[in-house]
Amino acid sequence: MKKKVLSVLLSLSMVCAMLAGCGSSSQPGATDTPAADTQQTDNSAEAAAETETTGKYEKFITVDVFDQQANYQGIQSGWFGEIVKQKFNMELNIIAPNVAGGGDTLYQTRSAAGDLGDLIIMTCAGGKLQDLVTAGLVIDLTDYLPGHENLLKYQDALEYTSECMCKDAGIWAVPSEVSERSATTPLGGTQLNSGHYLRWDLYKELGYPEMNNWDDLLNIMKDMQELCPESDSGKKTYAFSLFADWDGDYMNAASYMAAYYGYGIIGYAMNKADNSEPSVSLLDDESTYMKGLEFFFKANQMGLLDPESTSQNYDTLASKYRDGAILYSTYPWLGQAAYNTQDHLDQGKGFEPASMSDNEFYDWGCYSKGNPNNAVMIGSKAEDPERLMDFIDWLYSPEGICLSTGQTSGSCGFEDLMWTMEDGRPVLTDFGLECYTTNDAQMPAEMGGGTFTDGISQLNYKTISDGEINPNTGFPYNFTLWDSYNEMNVPEVYADWQEKMGAKNPLEYFMDHDMVVVSPGSGYATPSEPTEISNMRAQVREIIKDYSWRAVFAADRAEYDQIVEEMKSIVNGLGYEEILAYDLQCAEEEKQARIAVTQ
Amino acid sequence: MQKNVPTGKRPSKEGYLMFLTVLPFLILSFIFSYFPLSGWIFAFFDYRAPLKLSQCEFVGFKWFVALFANKTQLSQLWQVMKNTFAMSSLGILTSVIPMFFAIFLNEIRNKRFKAVVQTLTTIPNFISWVLVYSVAFSLFAESGLFNSLLQQYGLITAPIKFLDSDKHTYLSMLLWSQWKNVGWGAIMYLAAVAGIDQELYDAAKVDGAGRFALMRHITLPALLPTYFVLLMLSVANFLNNGMDQYFVFQNAFNKNHIQVLDLYVYNIGISGNSISIATAISMLKSLVSISLLCVVNFLSKKTRGEAIF
Repeated sequence: MKKKVLSVLLSLSMVCAMLAGCGSSSQPGATDTPAADTQQTDNSAEAAAETETTGKYEKFITVDVFDQQANYQGIQSGWFGEIVKQKFNMELNIIAPNVAGGGDTLYQTRSAAGDLGDLIIMTCAGGKLQDLVTAGLVIDLTDYLPGHENLLKYQDALEYTSECMCKDAGIWAVPSEVSERSATTPLGGTQLNSGHYLRWDLYKELGYPEMNNWDDLLNIMKDMQELCPESDSGKKTYAFSLFADWDGDYMNAASYMAAYYGYGIIGYAMNKADNSEPSVSLLDDESTYMKGLEFFFKANQMGLLDPESTSQNYDTLASKYRDGAILYSTYPWLGQAAYNTQDHLDQGKGFEPASMSDNEFYDWGCYSKGNPNNAVMIGSKAEDPERLMDFIDWLYSPEGICLSTGQTSGSCGFEDLMWTMEDGRPVLTDFGLECYTTNDAQMPAEMGGGTFTDGISQLNYKTISDGEINPNTGFPYNFTLWDSYNEMNVPEVYADWQEKMGAKNPLEYFMDHDMVVVSPGSGYATPSEPTEISNMRAQVREIIKDYSWRAVFAADRAEYDQIVEEMKSIVNGLGYEEILAYDLQCAEEEKQARIAVTQ
Repeated sequence: MQKNVPTGKRPSKEGYLMFLTVLPFLILSFIFSYFPLSGWIFAFFDYRAPLKLSQCEFVGFKWFVALFANKTQLSQLWQVMKNTFAMSSLGILTSVIPMFFAIFLNEIRNKRFKAVVQTLTTIPNFISWVLVYSVAFSLFAESGLFNSLLQQYGLITAPIKFLDSDKHTYLSMLLWSQWKNVGWGAIMYLAAVAGIDQELYDAAKVDGAGRFALMRHITLPALLPTYFVLLMLSVANFLNNGMDQYFVFQNAFNKNHIQVLDLYVYNIGISGNSISIATAISMLKSLVSISLLCVVNFLSKKTRGEAIF
């Protein structure tokens, strides 16, 4: 009998515990909060009450940020989170489709539910802005604009974006990468967005072999892989490693090659940056996409392609770069950013771009009208739109730009702490240098503590073009463009690269050698497409992605050819031609927009 | 014959009580089984995610026609149906396994060992497919346990692609689902075994039956009715072979053979931004399900004289 009573009591307590569990999860806000970084939230709420700088904003709020570009999901932590809290008495809860996976799924479900987020950072293209406005998911910013001087500076761009992307009158979005320079000026910085970034130390050991085509690259990478068979942690190295997170309408990795020949991709149409060539189909035998597929197929045949490419995500790949397990990177912000740490540089190792003679890199011109392919909007369910507008305005202020764009471009960070003015020019402090060259610079406790790298803005949002000038200093925001930075003791690898290539930085080299083709920053974005096209595209894209991956990992040439043939015949049956015709029409519109903006 | 239920105009108090008792379940089944059908309306509109239905154009049967528009479209659907039927058939073919598992488990004399086996085989049922996949991934990925071991002992040089391959997709999916479900499936049979009259066994033993004869002539026949009921239910669910398992295991390499109907609907509709067409497909699925149910019901009426309706 005793046993029975005991067991009844036990099960009762279990039921209570379960119910209690249900209860707490239904508290407002908790449902949407991803698991990451919750420890930060608890104390931040309490701390916020004590902060004195937040007088204007009495109530502490958590802002849901739907951010298409973010590679991080959860509450923004570290020093950036701290400064947002101090200034606006709020925290950012980043909702990232990139992390959630499944392509458009998160956008679909959240937008259908009627609340995308308080702050929305996503593309306006493809009729998205019009849809959001029609569905009443974003608010008109016109009334909030007065008094926000940093945004008013770009009022033209704001008005232009809303006018082009949306039939309803009003200002609905703040475009990214706004610029005060002309549309044909390259975006700037010191790097292009793509290039043959390889382990320069190994390349040097191989005697800087000349590279005229992609087969040369394969052979060089093969030698390099043999030269350096193991990573820092003893893992097997691979020349190339891919990931599938960013696959949209096609296999993203294979489409890299377009950028090496000055092509941009609109749907399934490939458009030359300067309108000098007719647009081509993505699946054309001669297209750079098909060449890209073949290249990675060959790489795999030669044992140069990481077999984990099929299943890993961006984070795993980045950690492999940090470990030195991958020897080649298409993007500077992947290979260099992860591997060129002070430790590696001290050992004379690092990623630097080699040159392939037949390349002609795609580079973006400045977006004098802003880039509508990524823009900030305020959600209609936002609790305090005024405060969010202040926040956006701050993001576009010199201070905000210095602090918030640190993830992919070299913005300079906190004044005085990380850089100071010396003799009328900005100079990185020792601490600033530490922040940018190592992964473990500790931020002061009053700034939220933690490492600099962990605390950077996870919004991954570029407010301005890369080479813009800070009106307060008269110098670029990007410290890598400062003479003072370039005069500092240059690491051995960089010095060697500069000596070998005879240029200060990659952009200069490729510009000097006429290997860059600039796409005028027209601010063009594709319009809303008819549902028939979207439906066909939904099926076609699955086929193209799946078959592309299978082609790259095909066992032999015959299988590769067969897969490619099959892919083409299936997509043609599913309406590829019709989609292409539509995309070519958009490509033509883009050409016209470019002509218009350069005149 | 006298009817049990009074047929007067005013139902009795007991009738009310009965109705109230069943009401919560009626409401539940309405909410979960009938209310969602209102979503079918999406199949007749040109729907795009953030817009409201009233802001979308009415297109009639356009999406249904589009499904059968051309040969490639049909062959895509055909492949999906083939996968669905193949996996469901394999599931039905192997539905005897839990029964035999239960019979053999029942023969184990050591109570403790029996309990351990039963617990260990039942637990996988409570592990979600996402976790099952992460286990599968750690074991079978290119840098997983098996590949690492094999490489360490020099048995292979390049990792074997267990997951990224289209070889034996049906079979491997079947094995995973068996691993997850056998123990759980056996519970029903174990209960049935417990209900068999012990006297039958005693009588058979007196007649000199051995252990296998007991199983063959008493346990097995006693379990068959249960088996057939479960079989009927699984036939009705022929097209609903679930998507979570296939969703987590799908990749570019095995999609040709792993994409069952539910997964296809998900891939096209939710990931692919075509909710309308996906709704149309799932409506067709319901039609097929209902026809299957009618066929099974008809067969049952003919052969066993019993039917659901």
